[in-house]
Amino acid sequence: MPVSVAGAYVRSGLFLLTALVLHLTLFSDLRVLGVAPEVPLAIAVTAGLAGGPERGAVAGFAIGLGIDLYLPTLFGLSALIYTVWGYTVGLLEERIFRSAWWINVLVTAAATAGGLLVYAVLGELLGEANLYTDHLYVVMGVAAAYNLVLSLPLLGLWHWSWPRLLGEER
Amino acid sequence: MATGTRTGRSRFTLIFLLLTSATLLTLDARNFEPLQRTEETLSDLISPLRSGADRVFEPVGDAWAGVTGYDELESENEMLREELQKLEGQQILDSDAAIRLESLLDQLGLPYVQDIPNVVAEVVTANIGNFDRYSVQINRGTEDGIRNGMPVVTRGGLIGRIDGDPGRGHSRVTLFTDPGFEVGVLVVGTEDVALASGGGHGEPLMVTKGLEIDTEVAIGDEVVTSGVDRSRYPPGIPIGTVTNIDYDEARLLQLLTVEPSANTDSLSFVTVLLYDPLEEGS
Repeated sequence: MPVSVAGAYVRSGLFLLTALVLHLTLFSDLRVLGVAPEVPLAIAVTAGLAGGPERGAVAGFAIGLGIDLYLPTLFGLSALIYTVWGYTVGLLEERIFRSAWWINVLVTAAATAGGLLVYAVLGELLGEANLYTDHLYVVMGVAAAYNLVLSLPLLGLWHWSWPRLLGEER
Repeated sequence: MATGTRTGRSRFTLIFLLLTSATLLTLDARNFEPLQRTEETLSDLISPLRSGADRVFEPVGDAWAGVTGYDELESENEMLREELQKLEGQQILDSDAAIRLESLLDQLGLPYVQDIPNVVAEVVTANIGNFDRYSVQINRGTEDGIRNGMPVVTRGGLIGRIDGDPGRGHSRVTLFTDPGFEVGVLVVGTEDVALASGGGHGEPLMVTKGLEIDTEVAIGDEVVTSGVDRSRYPPGIPIGTVTNIDYDEARLLQLLTVEPSANTDSLSFVTVLLYDPLEEGS
């Protein structure tokens, strides 16, 4: 059922806020091998897959800023990387992947691992310590597996947040 | 045509967001105060939601930790049983050791740590992300007098310091396991002030600077904060016990491995010492 643009924004905002709070409280404790799910990165990637490059970039920026409030790294680092990642995945989805569900799931996992690597490398280049360590590859593997599982529910929630807009060309 | 317009708009959005992120990064790197105040305000706005969700999901997190950490719990229980047996056998010796430590601290002129005003805080999140292994969040902030750099302790001794500008009702604690963490220390019974630094998650502290080669140190010696002039830590906070001694012949220094007396795993409550070296000095 089509909704207004304002309605879609409200839904997206609620979704992002809920995801941020759940990440800070619940998901941060659900660790395997000391690694928690990378929900914010999964949010950015699935936004790109579900809504294209622009929505991927905006969602990545918003959730990145939210999580930056609580991380000891530079404010804006997550926002920068998640923006690029949401946009890139959205662009690839539009031009190459074309939304096969199983491809989306695999892309979410691969993009999670890639995003974490970029985050660590860029963070180190900007002077942050302890990002590129031996533990990074464990983090990449476990977080990718986690986000593989989370991808379908998140894609479903994005489709709920952005249903067909009133008057939108399809 | 519509696709072309959409692509152009999405590129514009991307560039705008990238420039905004880069600006925020630059301002934060330069400690731009209005930005830091905005960050605090925003995180304070989310705080009530977070606290509520924390209470709801805490049992889930505990259950998960119980399931995934079952093997660790078993070995920890075994270790604790052994420890208990040792403690029972050495009860008399231990009380004697405590008296000796106290008297040693008195001899060094170190004031009793509990005289310093303090605030008990609850650890609300151990660590948030996967790159944040050396810090925890606590539920006390500027409203309780907490400021950047204040020492944080548990019953076992020093566990870290407040890092960054705290929010009104929350702060971040950098743990001593952080390889970038440094603290001035004193081996009880000596007069050399040395520098101990974090060795990483689950690793002991290392003393690599300041302890001259001819200073008499033995395995089992207690290490405490030095509290030298303007140190951010008051003197006499327990750090740990010397477990290994190496020698750097080139620099004529002793290198100590120090097993921390405080455990940073599964922290629930911590105490922030409202200690300001500048105020103490004046």
